[in-house]
Formats: sequence, C-alpha cells, structure tokens
Amino acid sequence: MVESNKRSRWRPSPTGMVAGSLVVLGFLLSEIDWGFLAISAFGAFGPGILREMGILRDRDEFQLRASRRAGNHAYLVAGLMAFLLMAYMRSVEPGPVDPEPLVTAFLVVLWFTWLLSSLLAYWGPRKTASRLLLVFGSLWGLFAILSNVGPEYQGVLGFIMALVVMLPFFGLAYVARRWPRIAGAVLLLVSVYFFYFFGLYEIFTDPLAMGRPVVLVLFLGPLCASGIALLCMKIDDEEGAEADEAS
Amino acid sequence: MVYYTVVCMRESYEIRNHLRRHRLLTGEMTQQELADRVGVTRQTILSIEKRKYNPSVGLALRLAKVLGVPVEALFQLEEDEEDG
Repeated sequence: MVESNKRSRWRPSPTGMVAGSLVVLGFLLSEIDWGFLAISAFGAFGPGILREMGILRDRDEFQLRASRRAGNHAYLVAGLMAFLLMAYMRSVEPGPVDPEPLVTAFLVVLWFTWLLSSLLAYWGPRKTASRLLLVFGSLWGLFAILSNVGPEYQGVLGFIMALVVMLPFFGLAYVARRWPRIAGAVLLLVSVYFFYFFGLYEIFTDPLAMGRPVVLVLFLGPLCASGIALLCMKIDDEEGAEADEAS
Repeated sequence: MVYYTVVCMRESYEIRNHLRRHRLLTGEMTQQELADRVGVTRQTILSIEKRKYNPSVGLALRLAKVLGVPVEALFQLEEDEEDG
C-alpha cells in the first residue's frame, strides 16, 4: 500500500522564535552592559519555566517527555561536573581566582546536554546527527565568508575556501541519513582529530583553561555524541522511517 | 524484598500497537492528518508507530476514538514468558 503523506517542512514554533530572539538580543546588548545578559537567561529558560507552571501549552506529551528526560540527563551530567570541578578546585593551590570560565563552562554543559538529549529523543539519532551537521556546516561556511569580507578580502579564493569548509559537513549529513554506521565512525574519528587539532588535551592539565571547556562541549560534543548515537542506534527502529518521514 | 526492588522493578511494559494498520485502513489517513485530529505533532504519531513511545492513556483513547476502533485493537500488552 502506498502511503500518500503530505510533505510538511519543519518550521520553528512562535515560542522558539521569540525565545531565540531574546537569547540573541541579550548577547548583543551585553556588549553595552553585561546586565543585559539576563534577557538571554529569560529567553533560554523562560519557556521551560512557563511550561512547568502550566501557563504555556505549546508542546504535546511526547515533546514534554523528551524535554523532561533531557532535563534529568542535564541534571546528572552537570551535577557530576560540579562535584568534579569542586574536587579539582579544592585540591590545587592556589585555586582559580576568576570564576567566570567555570560558570560559563558549567552553563554550557548544562544547556548542551539538555539540548542534545531532547533532540535525540525527539528526532532520533539519524535525523539529529544530519541536522546538527547541516547547522555546523552552515556556521563554518558563514564564519569563512565573514572572515573574507572587508580588509581581509582574498578574492574568489576566499569564497571557494568557505565552500570547501562546508562540504565535508554537508556530505556527512547526507551519509548520516543513508549509512548511519559509517557516518558514526567518521564522526568519532573527526572528533579525535579536532581534539588534538585544537590542543584540547591541555584540559587534562588545566581544566579551567580559558574557553577550552566551551569549545570542547560546543564543537566536539555534538560531533562525538552524534557519532556515538549513530553507532549505537538500532537500525530496525528506523526502518521504514524514510517512507513515513514528512520532514 | 531488596532483590525485588533492585532487580525486578519494571521500567516499562512492552506494548504492541497496530496504529499504522488502522490509520491506513481509515481511508489511508496520513500521519499529519491523524496528528492534527488528536492534537499532537506528526513526530509523536511516527514515534508511536515505530514503538519508540507508548502514549498516555488519554492519547490512546483519543486515537482509538478518531480511528473508530476500541483501544484494545490499537494497543495490546505483549505477553512475556514471565506472565505466560
């Protein structure tokens, strides 16, 4: 029997757009005064708080379950990290004087764990990995293009370089949908490569090295976690999914 | 008692469902159409059909009502050796 599903493209929810705008606005205004960062906090956590209070009802039960399960994962990971960091700080002399990298790293781990876990629960490994790679590819491409405008303009070669940077991510996004095991293995290898490429191994000697935990979580985290999820997923679970997928 | 609480607690029950079959029997209704009629996302219907998610009693009853079948026709507890 042939299924005649309507094709319906994913589009961001109004809540998501408002929340995302608040997060971006807060970060932009923080250039003027760091106090404006509170706007980002309301954007990031406000919708969740309103949902738990029963004021905002824009999620169905499956979305809420994914979100709450992700919350539990974030609690476990961030809690473990807090204790490990406390153990580290108390054991070294003198202790770190600037708490900001620590707080930033903690917040990033908390948020990233929640986001990735809810995406994996909602979309499944294949679609999550594919979409993450598309986002990463686009961001790297944008970064390459922006660094080629103004005084750093390198001609057409600069834009070709942007494409070269984007292509591996887009290629892997395609492979993840078709051959998840291969994509998973490649993603893990890429993660190991970038771990050494960015000198992230220094984190073992100085866990509070400025910015390193953030790079580790935001860049390597999605690649590594997607790779593991793709390698561990049950292919049977997603058989026939392509036929049913409308997004 | 300790053995029971540590080893034997059931995290979830295996539920067999025939949602996809009944959806297609109802005029080849699409996942999106069914999702709209019960007030959930299409991804939720997809996850139930793929047995990645067991719906709440409320949603199960709503699905049964929309498809015009008893809820037992859609969802059944899988008999395991222990119970059998």
